Amino acid sequence: MTNKLDSKDRSEGDREKSRAYQREFWPGILAYAVVLVGVLVWGGLDGDSPWRFLWAVLPVIPALWIVRAVLRHVRRIDDYQRLLLLQALGGGFAVAMIASVTLAFLEIAGLSISGVGWIIYGAGMLGWIISGAVVGRR
Amino acid sequence: MKNQLKSLREGRGWTQGALADRLGVSRQTVNALETGRYDPALPLAFRIARLFGQPIESIFTPPEEQEVPES
Repeated sequence: MTNKLDSKDRSEGDREKSRAYQREFWPGILAYAVVLVGVLVWGGLDGDSPWRFLWAVLPVIPALWIVRAVLRHVRRIDDYQRLLLLQALGGGFAVAMIASVTLAFLEIAGLSISGVGWIIYGAGMLGWIISGAVVGRR
Repeated sequence: MKNQLKSLREGRGWTQGALADRLGVSRQTVNALETGRYDPALPLAFRIARLFGQPIESIFTPPEEQEVPES
């Protein structure tokens, strides 16, 4: 028989922390997407203007807002959640490093790979997400 | 480390979420504590002891094999 005390509902504190994180995280993502699209469409990154280097790094500004949101979230959560987050980040970091070394050796072997940075970024993020799902299930 | 957290919580008629709010941690953390997957740091252990009005050692029982040998 299911006891109502065994409820798996999130606590009010969980919900409040989650709301605070969403409030801070999503404006950063939105700003990042807007700036990124603007830079890709109007930045002329494949041109020869010296300004293109400035436009190329412009998305870093909203990305810093996202980093701030994540750091503030880490300060709000408790020790156990930090431990899970650290394990998930460790998984993502390991995947990114393995991808980086693998791609580096493939390049040494003569394979031409475009967008290496994006591949490593994607692998790291994917590793973080999968690791987070795995450690969260424990 | 074994503990009496679940029985203490149920004795008060609290859900894991209600206990989590009283301790200032997540429901996931309470679940991990109750199932012995996570041993709390001292500040949280003291909060738990204070909340239930019992000494830490009556709530948490270390495994015998982990006892510190006498020098």
